[in-house]
Amino acid sequence: MTHRTPLLWVCLLMSTVVLDVAAEAPAASTSAAPPSVQDLRRMHPISGDAKAGAAKTAVCLACHGPQGVAIAPNFPHLAGQSASYLYVQLKEFHDGQRKDPVMTGQAATLTDDDMRNLASYYATLPPKPAGKGDASSRGAQLYRAGDPARGIPPCQACHGPAGLGPQPHPSAAPQPPWATFPHLRGQSGLYLTKQLGDFKRGTRAGNSNARVMHGVAQTLSDDDIQALSAYLSSW
Amino acid sequence: MLALKQNRTTPTVLTLSLLLGLCGMQDVLAGDTSDTMRVGDTQFGNALDPLGWTPMLQPADPDGMSLLHAGMLRTPTGNLYPYPPMVNAGKPVGQGDWLYNGEIEFGYLHVGGDRNAEYFRQYADWRSGPVLGLLALNFWNPKTGEYVEFRGNHLSADDQFYRLRAGQYGSYRIEAFYRDMPHTVSTNAYPIWNGVGTTNLTLPPSLVPGGSTPAQVAAVSAVTPEHNIGLKRTREGLSYEGVVYQNWIASAGITNEKRTGTRLWGGSMFFNYSFPDNGGILETVRPIDFRTTDINLSLRNVGKVWHFLATYNGSFFRNHKDYLDFQSPFALSNVVGVPQVANITTGQFSLEPNNDYHNVRLDLSRELKWNGQLTVAGAWGTMRQNDALLPPTNCTGTGGVYISPTANYTFPCANWNTTAALSEPSANARIDTGLLDARATFHPNQAFGWHAGLRWYREDDKTRYLAYNPLTGQYGFISENGSQGTVVPGQTGFFDPNNPLYASNSVPVRNVPVSYTDAVLELGADWQLSHKTSLGVTYTYDRNEPKYRERNRVDDQRFKLAWVSRDVVGATIRLSWEYARRDGDQYNYDPYVPFYSQSLPGFVTPAVGLPAYTVADMRMYDLSNRTESKARLIVTHPLGESATISATFYGNRDNYDALIGRQSTRTTGATLQWDWQPSPKTTMNGYLGVEGSRMGIANVNDADSVDNGKIYGSIGQTNPNLGGPFYPYANQWWEYDSETNRNAGLTFSHDFGRVRADLSYNYTGSVGHVGYNYATIGALAFRDAASVAASNQGFPDDKYRTNTLDMGLSFRVTSNVGVRLYGRYETGAFSDWHYLGLNNTLVYDHRLYTDKGGQLHYNASLVGVMLNLKL
Repeated sequence: MTHRTPLLWVCLLMSTVVLDVAAEAPAASTSAAPPSVQDLRRMHPISGDAKAGAAKTAVCLACHGPQGVAIAPNFPHLAGQSASYLYVQLKEFHDGQRKDPVMTGQAATLTDDDMRNLASYYATLPPKPAGKGDASSRGAQLYRAGDPARGIPPCQACHGPAGLGPQPHPSAAPQPPWATFPHLRGQSGLYLTKQLGDFKRGTRAGNSNARVMHGVAQTLSDDDIQALSAYLSSW
Repeated sequence: MLALKQNRTTPTVLTLSLLLGLCGMQDVLAGDTSDTMRVGDTQFGNALDPLGWTPMLQPADPDGMSLLHAGMLRTPTGNLYPYPPMVNAGKPVGQGDWLYNGEIEFGYLHVGGDRNAEYFRQYADWRSGPVLGLLALNFWNPKTGEYVEFRGNHLSADDQFYRLRAGQYGSYRIEAFYRDMPHTVSTNAYPIWNGVGTTNLTLPPSLVPGGSTPAQVAAVSAVTPEHNIGLKRTREGLSYEGVVYQNWIASAGITNEKRTGTRLWGGSMFFNYSFPDNGGILETVRPIDFRTTDINLSLRNVGKVWHFLATYNGSFFRNHKDYLDFQSPFALSNVVGVPQVANITTGQFSLEPNNDYHNVRLDLSRELKWNGQLTVAGAWGTMRQNDALLPPTNCTGTGGVYISPTANYTFPCANWNTTAALSEPSANARIDTGLLDARATFHPNQAFGWHAGLRWYREDDKTRYLAYNPLTGQYGFISENGSQGTVVPGQTGFFDPNNPLYASNSVPVRNVPVSYTDAVLELGADWQLSHKTSLGVTYTYDRNEPKYRERNRVDDQRFKLAWVSRDVVGATIRLSWEYARRDGDQYNYDPYVPFYSQSLPGFVTPAVGLPAYTVADMRMYDLSNRTESKARLIVTHPLGESATISATFYGNRDNYDALIGRQSTRTTGATLQWDWQPSPKTTMNGYLGVEGSRMGIANVNDADSVDNGKIYGSIGQTNPNLGGPFYPYANQWWEYDSETNRNAGLTFSHDFGRVRADLSYNYTGSVGHVGYNYATIGALAFRDAASVAASNQGFPDDKYRTNTLDMGLSFRVTSNVGVRLYGRYETGAFSDWHYLGLNNTLVYDHRLYTDKGGQLHYNASLVGVMLNLKL
């Protein structure tokens, strides 16, 4: 064996000694998502006191209506919505991961129990009466089957075939946080258009679900978004 | 990606489709899509980067496989998928929609220690100098799905690969590649000839062909410089796959593989026993100069009801060195002690001929009721070679032995060293194949399914060659280029019906066109016993009908049980057991009479008859009655979310109904593996494996000499029976081969932040033992006292062992610049009794060896430093 090789080996071995020192240096820019993003992947369905939540709705009903059906199309309907989804949104407004001129302020004073109770209350309300929806429309087609040629996945995979939330099959495999996926059926079209636009631009990216929606929304054109929003709101 | 079932899309499947779709996008960005390749080459990488892709500057993605669920998914049998590398988002190319990313790794490797050790460099051309670890460039257009990707690696001019792929997802794909791969056969060879690597091996001027003594040859061998024996495979190809019209998808691929170099080879000038100075056994070196061109074409259509696939495969082998001539340094002497009138000084091999292969195949399948499917396939193939044949010998002058005017066993070489001595100028060889295969499967409900299959295959060798010399009217072939007949009077290799000296020579005169027809019936059923437990049963009946073999029919029946449960104390258990029984019609120990001269007119049976072709109780292992059982147990147990432990136990037992021939084989093995990936930053794996195998063979020596029966040459030599005079029980012997293989591995990888450490240790060890026993010394080839004493010692064990430690440290200086330190330390030990004594001299009497074998011990190391840049 040559003499040079052991020397190089010593250098190689010595360099391992400084590993811990190097580890203290700041991570490279290829690190994971910023900590302000909520990782919902291990989240379980929430529970809360609906009755207590009802007592806290005095401010909410001004926009979202006395029965959770919004008074104007720029506000979302809350009635019958997934409690876990509502809780996550309130918490994001509260923690600053999702921003809205009104909701940021409204959520700032809520306790965690308040948010759980409010979410549970609205989930118990009957959703807005169903419409007919045009099953042959472009929006219906996108919702049910997506557009594989353009890489658009079908919305129903996560939001359910009836638009009322997913219907997962039993499986031992790691499961998505199904309860955090919102119901879309009958939702305000104007509101949906804005949210899909926010997802697409990345301005609504406060949790891991939103990051998924960012990828999905980027496959949608403005016409697709309009078609989907129109279909869902009329359904 | 849609999974539509009766117009209802299942959310779980769709979600997984979505996940896979997203992962697919990651793969696009990561730039390697080899898992979907249908045409082209299958492996890119080399010893420095076995996967052809080490994404140093892209750490594992902490988001894992999906933003939808925590933890890593497991395979259906419970193994964890690894964390994918983090997506490199790419940079825009100009103002358009195209993006790109790239990475280059280059640096310097230093090799130390026994750098030329055979096993160290068997498939890697390690050498000190600059290397290109990786060059990867990816361009893609997310809007159109178009992409272009290139990657390459260069260790040396003999060890490199480059690949270019381009296409559009869902539309088409093209690929071009070039690869050089070394294969070292020996680094410890000492060929004495000039012209190594060519078709003509000539002796150095200090040696006289056919006239040198062993001492003279040994002296030349001792000063012969060391040679490397090996070859280089150069492979290049071009392929396309794409949609040509609606649902019609076509693929076309062409690959060329060129193999050039040398290989150790033989060179017999007849036996170098039973007395000194006769014959000659030489280990020569032959050239390798092959080119194989493969062409693959396919057209497929996946309709709603019918599925269609048509394929053509063509393979064209070309050997640019079709013979090997070599000079032998040793004189021949005959066994009867008369003056030598002839001396054969050269040997000749006819090397592999050019040949062509064509195969066309059509597959059709359609869906049936009860969730069933019918698949029908038909194929026809042909293999042909029709190269010009070489003359039967290249000897000149006279060959053979002259005893007396009435016992003149000489022959003029001029009658045989010309193509005019051939019955046909070319081989006109052809083998045709045909295949019909039908299979139906049904799953009428989720709990039960069954299938039936019928397969018919025929291989028909149409080659008919008669070895006849029109110049002499003789049949057969000059054996060993004339040397055999120059040592043993009359054993020239030919039959002459008009010459009493050769009229009783039973020699091969025709090729044996071995063919067969095989029909297989398979019936099977599977039950879903519970949500997580299933049972499968399969029965197979295989009828094989060989032609020109010891049996006309062989029946093999096989019964297989497979039980799988995915929840036995949290583990997945796969258990299978197989039992097979083979029998057939009457066994004919000598079906080859029509191919020997004894079947020709004019053949005169000797007064003492012809010696038995072989012992009648001999059973060829592929045709003898046999019982076989196999069992395998695989246990995969997840340990929490981040670890998996798995174990495999298996065993095979084969018992052959043969008094002479292979009698039994058995294999028993186990593996244990532990995989742990507690976070995207850390992975650790451990592996242990052990396997033992044994094979038992029985044989009997013929009674050829006074001290073991002396029947050869007398009337009893026609008796083929074991226990008879020609094959007495006293001459029986038995061989027991055993081999134990052990291997172990441990890998560890951790990302400390700016530094990633990779550590890998691998061990392989093998011990082989040849054991034997015999009834009496009549079983031995040599029965003098020294040989008998040596035979009682037995053979030493063959041993092979390597230990390899790999270390890597990858420093991410910035997000675009990294430095990789790489080191390997390898030790090995090798011991094979076949090479014993060759370190002292390569010449023993008229036996000349070239290869001393692998190094008994070696230590080799390499270190390298490489710079990584994101482009």
